Amino acid sequence: MSAVAEATSPLDRLAAVEATLPGGAAAHARRRAALERLLALGLPGPRDDAWKYSNLRLLGRRDFAPAAPRPVPADALATLPPRQGPTVVFVDGRFQANLSTADLPPGLSVTPLAAVLATALPPALEARLGATDAIDERIRLLNAALLVDGAHLSVAAGGAADQDVHVVHLATGGGSYPRLAVTLAPGASVRLIEYHLTPGDAESLAAPVADIELGRGARLEHYAITLAGAHAIELQDVSVRVAADATYRHRHLGLGGQLARLDLRVRLEGAGATTQLSGLLLAEQNRQIDVRTLVEHVAPHTTSDQVYRGVGKDRGRGSYDGKVVVHKGAMKSDSRQSSRNLILSPGASLDSRPQLEINADDVKCSHAATTGALDEQMLFYLLARGLDRETARALLTFAFAEDVIAKIALPALRRFTEQRVLGSLPAAPLIREFIA
Amino acid sequence: MSDTNPSELLLEIKDLAAEVQGRKVLDGLNLEVRAGEVHAIMGPNGAGKSTLAQLLAGRSTYQVTRGEVRYRGADLLALAPEERARRGLFLGFQYPVEIPGVNNVYLLKAALNARRRQQGLPEVDAFEFLGLVRDKMRLMQMDDSFLSRGVNEGFSGGEKKRNEILQMTVLEPTLAILDETDSGLDIDALKVVANGVNGLKRADRAIVLVTHYQRLLEHIIPDRVHVLAAGRILKSGDRSLALELERRGYDWVRHEASAA
Repeated sequence: MSAVAEATSPLDRLAAVEATLPGGAAAHARRRAALERLLALGLPGPRDDAWKYSNLRLLGRRDFAPAAPRPVPADALATLPPRQGPTVVFVDGRFQANLSTADLPPGLSVTPLAAVLATALPPALEARLGATDAIDERIRLLNAALLVDGAHLSVAAGGAADQDVHVVHLATGGGSYPRLAVTLAPGASVRLIEYHLTPGDAESLAAPVADIELGRGARLEHYAITLAGAHAIELQDVSVRVAADATYRHRHLGLGGQLARLDLRVRLEGAGATTQLSGLLLAEQNRQIDVRTLVEHVAPHTTSDQVYRGVGKDRGRGSYDGKVVVHKGAMKSDSRQSSRNLILSPGASLDSRPQLEINADDVKCSHAATTGALDEQMLFYLLARGLDRETARALLTFAFAEDVIAKIALPALRRFTEQRVLGSLPAAPLIREFIA
Repeated sequence: MSDTNPSELLLEIKDLAAEVQGRKVLDGLNLEVRAGEVHAIMGPNGAGKSTLAQLLAGRSTYQVTRGEVRYRGADLLALAPEERARRGLFLGFQYPVEIPGVNNVYLLKAALNARRRQQGLPEVDAFEFLGLVRDKMRLMQMDDSFLSRGVNEGFSGGEKKRNEILQMTVLEPTLAILDETDSGLDIDALKVVANGVNGLKRADRAIVLVTHYQRLLEHIIPDRVHVLAAGRILKSGDRSLALELERRGYDWVRHEASAA
């Protein structure tokens, strides 16, 4: 990064912002260390391979300072799909007890982190909440540099915790840097549904970071639903460790934001560990939506499956940049990547870059990536049955997205997503009756 | 159902020539099809049979370079494919495409209502439609699972062909063009498909069978048989021509045509 760019970087103002944040000497020292590393690395630019597809010019004009606490509109959560199970709410990165469910079911605990973060961290959390040195993890550094709150969600084994837990991230304007630590005990099972939203069209910058650990045989189905407004920047970073015979699923629904990026790293550390990642990138209007995944097969007999679908419309842009690394000794690993993009407008663009790095023998890896317009044969078939062109196109677009929507196990969320996708199709009223 | 007159000239093709990516596929094709008739268009592989079927349905891959096609007096080539379908032209595809995520039955209902709107008839509601489609499915020996599946999704070759005929029986076209509907069918499936087609024979409707083999014509008796080769109709005759082709192949027709 050039000296001129550095001089005007919003990062330079962050030291002053950090000084105003709560916490004792240990907390400040921890944040300062992260900030210094971030300053040394600079903000990512287009020449950084890991950020090649993300246009971060917007960042230069954005206020990074955490928002001052302010009242939350009473109907802030009204736009969300109906929910069952407890809800944990963060506003501008801070845990909100008054909006969150107080009585949690047995087996599930949610510990706000503000108090812990303000003092010296317990060693168990130190490693998880500490910063990083990786150049492609600068969002993590930004989060660590301005971190004041978060939650530790812990799930014990047993039927009582086998349910839905909702985490809502509300960004009302300015910066928010929530940190989530999730621990699933061996054999535990839970569905975690994270929503990222802004009330109205707030100009916001959110860098939520999550660290997730699955014990042996645990199962986590993790949804990340981006519903933020047209002036929201959202940079999510999720890092997951999966023990033997455990299954981690991530379902990304990119339906909002001005710039929304997800960095998702999954390490399959024990034999029989499995991960299934999927995403729907609805890149419309001026939205940019990027997904970068790194799946590491560390142990033998591990399985990964990735299915990403991008729809590009108007001047929307987006990318899937997914890498699978099979480590030495991770034989009998099985990995699949499928990335398909549908371009509906000439002004839209979507990129796809599946990558494989195999360092073990006897593995099964496949990847496929396509970007194109609607399938001509399908279109002709529908026209030849008398459907008008507009309906046929809308129907095929919807069917394309349905590949991923069908994977949503929560009926209310699936219907919500279907309606969102329909809402962005020009001929929606014509095809609503097709979606029973 | 129809406002067609008996023996009305439904399809009239005059001196039709077409190409795909600069390659000539049809070259001076003439054909007349009247209401109440069943025609069979036979010919060797690559003769242009499927081109003709797809072109008539409105596939834009083919450029017409010469000639005209009139459907019930209208300039067919000027009509969009969906308009042709609504006016009662049906193409049974040789390779019906799979469209996951688009429900088979909703498509059929939308197709039927598009046709009914064109005819000035009221649209059928979901309940009425389901009753209708179940009746037709029984006729085609299709089970209820077809109702909930995506269009042709995961169907076997035979199931796809049955689905095409199911669509035809529901849509009740004026002119049905069935492109290699018999290919890939075992004998039992062939009989089911043939029954479906025979059930649609009417004085105010025409059926054009595009086929490579005469096998189908043992079950659906054609009034006229045409040999399409080198992009045009080289010879026409009655049912006995199909049997002769089965016995002697296509070469003699070509020789006869070039001698003449």
